[in-house]
Amino acid sequence: MASGAFPDRFLPPDPRVEEPYRHTPRVALRVAILALLTLGLFAILFLRLWALQVLSGHRYLSDALNNQVRSVPIEAPRGSIVDRNGRLLVTNVPGTQVLLWPSDLRKRTGRDTELRRLSKVLGVPMKTIVAKIKARAGDSLTPITLQVAVHKDQVAYLLEHKDEFPGIEISQTYLRRYRAEALAAHVFGYTREISAAQLKDGRKCYVRTRSGGGARKYQAADVIGQSGIEAAYDCELRGLPGKTVRTVDSLGRPTGAPRDEIQPVSGNTIRLTLDISLQRAAERALRYGIGLARADGHWAANGGAVVAMDPRDGSILALASNPTYKPGVWVGRLDPKRVKVLLDPKAAKAANYPGLDRAIDGTYPAGSTFKPVTALAALGQHLVSPYESLPCTGEYVVRGQTGAGQTFKNWDPSVNENMTMPTAIAASCDTYFYRVGYMFYGLPGNLGHPLQDWASRFGIGARTGIDIGPESGGLLPTPEWLQQTFTKKSDPCCWQIDSLWKPGDSIQLAIGQKDLLVTPLQMTRFYAMIANGGKLVTPHLLGDVEAPGGNPRAPKVLPGGTRPWALQKTGVDPAALAVVRDGLYGATHGTNGTATSVFGSYPVAIAGKTGTAEKVVTLPGFKGLMDQSWWCGYAPADSPTITVCALIENGGHGGTAAAPAALKVFEEFFHLPGVYVPPANSD
Amino acid sequence: MAAPPAIDYAGLGRVQVRTSRRHEVLSLLQRLDWVLLGATAAAVAYGLWAIAGITHADVPDNPNYYLIRQGSYAAIGAVLFVLALLVEPRFYLRYRMVIYAGTLATMGFILVAGAAARHSRRWIDLGFFRFQPSEFGKVLFVLFLAGFLAEKGRRIGEARVVATAVGLAAGPVLLVFLQPDIGTALVYSAALAAVLFIAGARWWHLVGLGLAVVIAALAILWWLPAGGVDVLKPYQAERLYGFVNPDKNPQGSTYNVNQSITAVGAGGIYGRGVRGSTQTTLNYLPEHGTDFAFASLAEQRGFLGASLLLLLYLLIIWRGLKVVTLARDAFSAIVAGGIVAAFLFQVFVNVGMAMGIAPITGIPLPFVSVGGSSMIANLLAIGILEAIHARGTGRAAFRRRRS
Repeated sequence: MASGAFPDRFLPPDPRVEEPYRHTPRVALRVAILALLTLGLFAILFLRLWALQVLSGHRYLSDALNNQVRSVPIEAPRGSIVDRNGRLLVTNVPGTQVLLWPSDLRKRTGRDTELRRLSKVLGVPMKTIVAKIKARAGDSLTPITLQVAVHKDQVAYLLEHKDEFPGIEISQTYLRRYRAEALAAHVFGYTREISAAQLKDGRKCYVRTRSGGGARKYQAADVIGQSGIEAAYDCELRGLPGKTVRTVDSLGRPTGAPRDEIQPVSGNTIRLTLDISLQRAAERALRYGIGLARADGHWAANGGAVVAMDPRDGSILALASNPTYKPGVWVGRLDPKRVKVLLDPKAAKAANYPGLDRAIDGTYPAGSTFKPVTALAALGQHLVSPYESLPCTGEYVVRGQTGAGQTFKNWDPSVNENMTMPTAIAASCDTYFYRVGYMFYGLPGNLGHPLQDWASRFGIGARTGIDIGPESGGLLPTPEWLQQTFTKKSDPCCWQIDSLWKPGDSIQLAIGQKDLLVTPLQMTRFYAMIANGGKLVTPHLLGDVEAPGGNPRAPKVLPGGTRPWALQKTGVDPAALAVVRDGLYGATHGTNGTATSVFGSYPVAIAGKTGTAEKVVTLPGFKGLMDQSWWCGYAPADSPTITVCALIENGGHGGTAAAPAALKVFEEFFHLPGVYVPPANSD
Repeated sequence: MAAPPAIDYAGLGRVQVRTSRRHEVLSLLQRLDWVLLGATAAAVAYGLWAIAGITHADVPDNPNYYLIRQGSYAAIGAVLFVLALLVEPRFYLRYRMVIYAGTLATMGFILVAGAAARHSRRWIDLGFFRFQPSEFGKVLFVLFLAGFLAEKGRRIGEARVVATAVGLAAGPVLLVFLQPDIGTALVYSAALAAVLFIAGARWWHLVGLGLAVVIAALAILWWLPAGGVDVLKPYQAERLYGFVNPDKNPQGSTYNVNQSITAVGAGGIYGRGVRGSTQTTLNYLPEHGTDFAFASLAEQRGFLGASLLLLLYLLIIWRGLKVVTLARDAFSAIVAGGIVAAFLFQVFVNVGMAMGIAPITGIPLPFVSVGGSSMIANLLAIGILEAIHARGTGRAAFRRRRS
């Protein structure tokens, strides 16, 4: 094939072509236009190139540099929790976790396959993974924790197939270890990854370390305390995370050695006021008390609470709630079956709410344990004098405005004698206190509500301010509360009657019944006030905060760790207190004392009050009044060092279940065994 | 019956110098546009050097993998360049319908049986080489359209002729669009416009066509989707959306273009070198050997290196436009115009895409992007330009006549 020498046969004559091709001015013009267009387009390209590379090159250079460095946080070991004697209760064990950097996942097709495989390998539902990725959309700098406490076989598999799982990182983490098994589960609480709502709060934390400290915001993927001490002192426990800066490629695989490593600082140690031996005894005592109640025929006895507190400063020695759970179920991989009773309302109800801390969050009518409140209020108002005798009868009748009599019965219908106040407390005479209650009802309106005033001064119906939560305040009924509660809307039929404060309200409040609701901790606090001479303590669990890694015998206490735990003056007359203490001693030692059979022979003088509180309860197949078994008291009676409140739900009489349970706590505290006395049938 | 006298409308008589075969080859060499050839050779060499740097970390333990492949393609391309040089352009004119039918058949075949990758069927898998006919189709498309229009001569002014040309072009464009390869379909459309433009279509015909394109684009992008008919694949719509809103969803559809802009910007004036170019070597910039080769080049060689490549392109286009004016006949001129316009369009869209001023389409960067079909087809196209130049009415030709 040669050039230039083509014969004409390639171009057949064409009659339509009138003239040979010439460069018409039109073609020249059009080529010129094309040339101009070319110049214009290239000018745009050059200008853009200039703008990007020369004018803002620095900005893009730093973008590119940030692209390849990734700051990976190094988790700080969480602080330990020890009891008042330095016994290690909560600590850490190393564990392996699998992290996922969502930005490194393959785009489109490979993505679902990878996630599905991960879901299979790690045993995390696909839904959970997708939800986690969605929740973290827009934050590409924090990895997602897919699974903690991963087995070494899973790790080996992932490492072997590393290239098939872009974005996966395996790292070390710390897992919480609860050395006391199920003890004090509600006190310790648990830790989990921060939730979206918590993150949104933007809470800040001042983290203290041996060498100063710093404010730190909670960040995504932080594992934080979710309840109990873990939540209350999260800032002390969490420590300061370190970080390491690594160069990574676009699949997140580290290239080269890490640089700029900052070591993490361990969290501080929290020393509790709790005595773990006493805690164990308290939890055993609860089970013992429930057993006693059941043996006595109270089939529905299935829970309760025991609080032991130092009445002098409010430090909690034991805080038990039953039923309970093992805090270890929250560690690492959640076993859906085991946490179901804590998360699923239905399952929780069937298991009688093991997640509920009854000691601070359970509310019950106080029953007879409230009588000392009424007594102190009556003495404070000078309604009765301490040794004035009032009749204690089998029943007490009040004539209402209509003239019809309303009868209030004593727990012991056969009694008929005159009693002074200490005797009435010791014998727990209801009718005596009905009369006192009616006296309060008869007080002129300009005095307000003295009974409720005194009760709230004693901390009844209000949160105690204990350092863990959630705490319930209970309910102290007042005429105002009645009016607010029963309105035309909420009670269309009878609101006009129900919203009125009637004699019965005062009378029943005097013995801690009807609408009154208290928590076991509130009652403990009230009895501590009686024990310590009239000061209201702030219950607390925190002993002090100590620097990590120190000698447990000579801990380095960090200053300012403890809050000043306020002692509040109540203004109660010491003489009135003495009368009540006299009565409480009589209740455990007097001939007609309701718990003499339980405490009378104990070598240390214990004083306290039984209570049998009627509460409307709903149980499977039963709805109605059930007796809540109470006992609250302190020892030694002359200079108390411990206050104990025991409550057995649906446990019957106070002397049957709660009092023997409380005795078990005293036995452990004083290291002195009691003498077993068959439970007495008493109020 | 005597044959009618041939009309020497191309002025062949002026350059008809019958000499020996050796003399012919020599004269062909003399008539080559050496500037165009030099610029092309420089662009190929520069592209190979760039690709060596861009892809050195892509294949573990074999930094020259793509360089060697690309070099072989360039060698094949050089052979085709020489062949194209030797072929008399009128040959294409004569067999334009064969070319047209062959193009349609190949593209149809691909749609049915082509090798699929990343959502589209564009390739015929030949084992060692994935042949992408649409790249060659660009050249063939220009050839048969130019043939059709040259044959119509001055009737180009008639609306019917323009409409027929558009109808002829619609076949290949649609087939490419269906692969789907919007980028190449756009290149074809640009070539069609250029061919009509150079052939001398009336302005108002061109304006009408432009309006039709705008209306079609609006229909595809807004009206039909609003009516529930989705012409574009979801990823295509996403890319266009991403082009309009580059800051939305930086990890999603606009990830590529953001990384590309970062790569270009990070290059600065002098570039970050092969080892320092983290966007490329750490794989933050996807497709850095192919679609985003310009961004990688800009990152590694900086403003100076990127400008050098753009200047080489400008030189090639300038010489190409010159070939249009020197063409011996209308057919050659139209072919040259179409080739140059397609080339310009490719360069602009690819480079613009790397800098975020054009939507993301899979158009390769001529002579640089890794890919045999593109390299060979582009060299073939330049070869045709040179063939036209050598047979044209340039100074060399006149000089030849004078001697």
